[in-house]
This record gives sequence, C-alpha cells and structure tokens, in this order.
Amino acid sequence: MTQTRSKVTRRNFFKAGSIIVGGIAVASALTPFDGVLFATERPKGKGEWYGIGIDINKCIGCGKCANACKLENNVPKDPFYFRSWVEQYTIKNDGTILVESPNGGIDGFKQSVPDADIFKSFFVPKMCNHCAKSPCVQVCPVGATFETPEGIVLVDENYCIGCRYCVQACPYGCRFINPEKGTAEKCTLCIHRLEKGKNPACFEMCPTEARIYGDLNDPDSKINYFLKNHTCMVIKPNLNTGSKLFYNALSPEVR
Amino acid sequence: MPQHIKRLVSAFAVVIILFLVMQQVLTPASFGKLGHYRADAIPENEMKTLHYAGSAVCTNCHEEMQTDKALGFHAQLQCEACHGPGLKHALYADKFKDKELPDSLKLHKPDQRKDCALCHEINAARIKIVFDTINNTMIHQVNTLKHNPVNKRTNEKVICIDCHNPHQP
Amino acid sequence: MTQHLQHLYEVLSKVDGYVYPNEIELNWSILIVLYPYITGLVAGAFILASLERIFKLHVLRPTYGIALLTALSFMLVATMPLVSHLGKPFRAYEIMVTPHLSSAMAIFGFVYLWYLMVVLLLEIWFDYRCDMIIWAGETTGVKRFLYRAFSLWTTDISPKAVALDNKLGYIVTIIGVPSAFLLHGYVGFIFGSIKANPWWSTVLMPVIFLFSAIVSGIALVMLVYNVITRIRKVKIDMPCLDAIASYLFYILLIDFVLEGLDQIHRIYEAEESFDVLHNLVFGRLFFTMFIMQGLIGTVAPLLTLGTLQFYKPKEKIRKVIYMVIPALILVGIFFMRWNVVIGGQLFSKSFYGYTDFKIGLIGTEGYLMAAFWLIVPFAILSFLLWLFPPWKKKDEEHEVQNA
Repeated sequence: MTQTRSKVTRRNFFKAGSIIVGGIAVASALTPFDGVLFATERPKGKGEWYGIGIDINKCIGCGKCANACKLENNVPKDPFYFRSWVEQYTIKNDGTILVESPNGGIDGFKQSVPDADIFKSFFVPKMCNHCAKSPCVQVCPVGATFETPEGIVLVDENYCIGCRYCVQACPYGCRFINPEKGTAEKCTLCIHRLEKGKNPACFEMCPTEARIYGDLNDPDSKINYFLKNHTCMVIKPNLNTGSKLFYNALSPEVR
Repeated sequence: MPQHIKRLVSAFAVVIILFLVMQQVLTPASFGKLGHYRADAIPENEMKTLHYAGSAVCTNCHEEMQTDKALGFHAQLQCEACHGPGLKHALYADKFKDKELPDSLKLHKPDQRKDCALCHEINAARIKIVFDTINNTMIHQVNTLKHNPVNKRTNEKVICIDCHNPHQP
Repeated sequence: MTQHLQHLYEVLSKVDGYVYPNEIELNWSILIVLYPYITGLVAGAFILASLERIFKLHVLRPTYGIALLTALSFMLVATMPLVSHLGKPFRAYEIMVTPHLSSAMAIFGFVYLWYLMVVLLLEIWFDYRCDMIIWAGETTGVKRFLYRAFSLWTTDISPKAVALDNKLGYIVTIIGVPSAFLLHGYVGFIFGSIKANPWWSTVLMPVIFLFSAIVSGIALVMLVYNVITRIRKVKIDMPCLDAIASYLFYILLIDFVLEGLDQIHRIYEAEESFDVLHNLVFGRLFFTMFIMQGLIGTVAPLLTLGTLQFYKPKEKIRKVIYMVIPALILVGIFFMRWNVVIGGQLFSKSFYGYTDFKIGLIGTEGYLMAAFWLIVPFAILSFLLWLFPPWKKKDEEHEVQNA
C-alpha cells in the first residue's frame, strides 16, 4: 500500500517537475517573442497616471498653446516643428472639408471661407496623445522613447539614434526630428514643469481653459470630472493606440 | 572534431563572447531599471529650464494689475499669455529697481492689432459658447480690418489699446 | 542647416491640401529606398544559389558561386544606407546593445547578423575552404595571406574533411533558405507593421517584399553573370540562362499577382484612407508606379519572358533579352521600393493632403550618396571575384573536364 503510494507520488513528482522545467524552458525560449504582444496588453497604470482632456467647444483658436509650447521647450521656430498646434476645420455646405493650420495657428487664423458657404467650423488643438500602447514606443529599436510610470511618453535625447521610425509610427503626426540635435522630439507634457508643481505651458496659457489634465486613476481628478460630464472621444480610435487625449465634441471629420 | 571545425567553432565563440562583453560594457547603467529605457532619462527630462512663471508669480510685484484685471472680461486670462514667458523677468527684474531693465529681461508689450486679433478676429469657428456666464457674453469678435482702422480726424492708424484698456476691456 | 530649411520652405509651398505640420518633411528618403532594395538583392541572389544546391538544379551551376558572392557583397553594405541616414550614426551600436524586442527594426539587427554570419559566411567558407588552402599554396604575398587568414590557417584538405565541408555546407544552405525568407520578410514587416500608415500596413507586405526580393536578386545575378562572361570572354551557358529566365518569369508572375491582390483588396474594402491613396497613386505616384514599376518593371518583362516559355527565338536575340530584361526588372523593383517608401510618406496621416518630395544631388540624403552605396557592393563583388573566382575552383574545373 505504502509502496504504491510512494510510486504514485514519485511519478507525480517527476511529472510535475518535468512540466515545470519544460514550461520554464519553453517560456524562456519564447520571451524574445514577447515583443509581438506589445499592443495586445491592457494598459496597466498604477498610481498617478496622466490623461488629457480638450474641450473643442471652448477652443477659440488663439494659438497661445502652440506658441507657449515653442517658447517653453525651445522648439525650433520654423513652421515644420511642432509639439503642439491648432487646426481649423471648416466643413462647407457642399460637404467638402477644409483643414488649415498656418504656422500651427501661432499667428492666428484668417477665415478663408465666406460665412454663407460654411456648414460648420471649429478649432482642434493637437498634441501628443500620450498613448498607453504607444506605437512610437513600440517601434523604437533602442528604447530611447518610453512611457514613464505616470503615463507620459518621453524621448531620451541622449540615447535616440535618430532613425525616424517613431515619426513614421505616430498616427497623429506629433513627432519630428530636431534639425539641430538629429534626435526625435515630442511633447513631454512639460514634465519639467509638473515636477515643480506647475501646469504644462499649453494648459497654463489657454485663455479659455479648453484643456485640462489630471490623474486618470484618481476618481476625483479634473480629468475624470471632465470625462464624466462630457461625451468624449479619442482621435483614430480604430488604431487602438490607448490614446489618453480625450476630446469633447469631437467631430468625425477630425483625423 | 576535425581541426578545421574546431577552429571555426572557436572563431564563432570569440565573436559571440566579444559581443556579450561589449553589450555589458556599453549598456547604460540605469537601463532597464523601470522598463526598456534609461531610467535616468526621466530626471534628465525633468531638469529642462522653465520659461513661463505662471501668474501667481506676477502678482507678487504687479498686484495692482491683477486687481484691475479681476474686474474685467480678461479676469481668467494669464498675464504671460499676452506678455510672453516671464520667469527670467520674475527672477532677475528685482535687481534693476531704479535702473532700466536690459532687453533680455523686458517682457513683450503687445500693442499691435494682430495681437488682439489672435483671439478677437471674427471667425466662424470662434462663435460657439457663452464664456462669461454672469454677464452672459460670448468672446467679443471684431473685423480688425474694418473696425476703426484710422482716426478719422487725424488720419493716423489706430491700435486697439488706444480705445480699449487691455487689462479691463 | 539653412539649406535644409530652405528646402522645407520650398516643399511647404507645394503642399496640396492639409498635412500635419510635422509631416512636411519627408523622414525616410532615398537611402531608405535603397535599404530594402539592397537587402532584397541579397535574399534573391542567395535563393537562386540554393536552388542549385538544395533542389539539385545543376543547370544553374555556372551561377552558383557568382550568386553567393553577389549576395555577400550586397549583404556587407545592406545596413550602410540605414546607418548613414541616422540622425546620430555613432549611436547605431545601441540597436545591438539594447534591442527593443517589440521593434521590428531592432530585431532586424539580429536577423541580419544571423544571416550574414551563420548563413552566408559559413556557406561560402565551407564552399571555398579547400580551394583557399590550395590557392594559398599557389600564390604569394597579400593574396596568400588573405587565403590563409580566411581559411583560419587550417590545412586539412583530406577527402574526409572536404566531404564534411560539403555536408555542413549543405545543412547551412537548408537553414539559409528560411533565413533568406526571414530576412526579407522582416524588411517587409518593418513597413507592414506600421498601423498608422494605410499604404504600408498590410499583412501581404512581407510576402510581397519577399517575392520582389527573389525577382530582383535573380535578375541581378543574371546580369552579373552576363557581364562576367563577357569580361572573361568565355561562352555564355545558354541552358543556364534559359532556366533562370523561366524561374524569373514564374516568380515575377507570383509577385505581380500578390501585388495585384493587395491593391484589389485595398480597392474592394475602400477604407477611410481610400480617397487619399487613390489620388496619390494617380497623382504624385503615377509615373513611378504605373510607368516605371508597372510597365517597365513588370508588364514588359512578364510579356517577354512569358513569350519565351513557348517560343524560343534565336540565341542571339535571347542573349539581348537576357541582358535587357533583368535590367528592366532591377529598375522596376527599385521603383517598387520607391513607391512603398516614398509613396507612404507623400500623403498625410490626416488623409487630407499631400506633401512634396525632391532630392538634391549632394548631401547625406542626395543622389550621389545613394549612388555611392549602390556602387560599393559592385566594388566589393569585383574584389571577391578576384579573390575567390568560382570558375577556378577545383570541383568546377573537374566538372568541366567531365563534361
């Protein structure tokens, strides 16, 4: 009796043992392929986790945000480099859509379609979506762009090789190569200001409080109040980038 | 194992070992601490210089402007939105109390029509919601090309602030 | 710097519709067109060589060594366009040191190394080791030293050792075929995995890249073989070229069908991006796509090679065809890469407009730089052919005697 039991347990031991060892071996052999799973995983922010809300109804297209961003972050002045910019969408009565963003909206907007032809018109401020499953982070070959534990997507300019793959991968056109540094550059949510308890420049300078940010994991935060009380949408939801930039009153024409 | 296969295997072994050693040597110290990146990159990003001070700082010296502004439509408008980044000014202007401020510390004085036009130029996308719920007003819109461009008596060009007080419009 | 900005202002004036402000600058230029092009030539040339070795298609024997050396010489420069276009070229090593496993580009570094070190170099080494030892005895000076060094100072040319070399070389070739597929499939994946870009993001991209790679590689070897026989003033092996031409035809056909499928699928589904891509193809890409890639690079060779399948003109005419058609195909595949890489950046990801593209003669992204990286592999190939002439191999001479 005891003999059979010990036999069984021994067999079980070997069985379990080999399963565990084999499992570990297979799992470790497959770890290099974990990279494939990047965008399949649910975002997993713990603690402070930033999200951004922009109210299109409140945006008056003054371009102060875009201007403040350039001045605060020493972004090159030429109209090819923007971390933050404003677009004017004009949908005409005949259904055609006109999008404009002269110098990112910094110098203001001139209405180019007569009132009579306009079906509707609105401004859309654009900036990095700080995606939770960011395509730019996914494709960076060296780990020079990454998401901080607080959910801010940053660039490590001392490590970036300037391959421009992230610029190609960003669906929102929020990245560019700094012509002097040769490395990728993007919105940092003014992490250098956040760290000193100040608001990011574009939020600080917005005259109508059209943009707010806050901790998505805090039920009482500004951003959660915003999300609760508005019908919000992200841009290009079909791409499943885990965008954390939520727009109120976003029209389907906006891309 | 034949001699030439041995040579080949050792050549490969040397290359692989060299590669692994180089990998160890060249990987930055803080790499991988928080994820697949240099953890030091976060403080490096945080150490960038600030340019905007925030209006709480402005009030320290320019309290009268603040009280002036609080009564008007521009109450919630940040000083630096029109005057430009002022952290340097806030930090060092004190030292020039009786002297003329150097240009690098002077703030922008927006006195052109185009400065006000940024927000107030008439535009179909701008008329949307009521901003000031107490006075029930929308953002004021003018056609800056047609709205009193010249003084009819003197024939001189007129700028917005000739008639409107920007701090209490 | 100012020149770069001047160029961008010029482009800005040619923007059609709306593009995101950061999209005015085209990020991947002619060097990134070259990169998949050169990698494709490598994979294709290698696959032609392995056809001979694995599938025992001995009619292809005269091109075997040439194909291998061509693959190697292009492989050695394959990453150079990529590295020289980097904003920080001296940080390129980071790709190997801290590869980000979710990035197709990072994994490419390892796929590349695997292919270069384990497949190409090993196969060539096993193939030439015995000959190198023999040649080392027949030569002097630098050449002798090179043979010695490349054979790792081994001396064993006993029949047993040579047989082992052959066997191991065969195994390497078998590993090599999926590796070559992987190599170029991977290059396709670098583009095909970018979900932000509807022109690139298709599951067929790796497959299309693979087949166009095989096509271009075979065409290149055909051309190189032609040139070499002319330089060596030996008789062209027509059965060999006829056979290559028929493989070329079938693979080109598959490639054509795959690309057709891709476009039909795109048109049938007509997703959000359809309008912008439609206007792109009939606008800014019309010349490179329909004329260069379609007519010159695909339709003309397909018709010519197709005709050869059931009608064989005189040898003299066939010789001309075998010179011209591979050249056309090489041009066509170059423009295929162009249409993918440049085409994918000409339209805005907002789908509301197009930016413009112009390359200068000089500069890191200019024509001269691109031409340089296309010429270097041929220089390397000449050197390799001088050092390792496949026609002087022992077994080769043996075979000639037998025949």
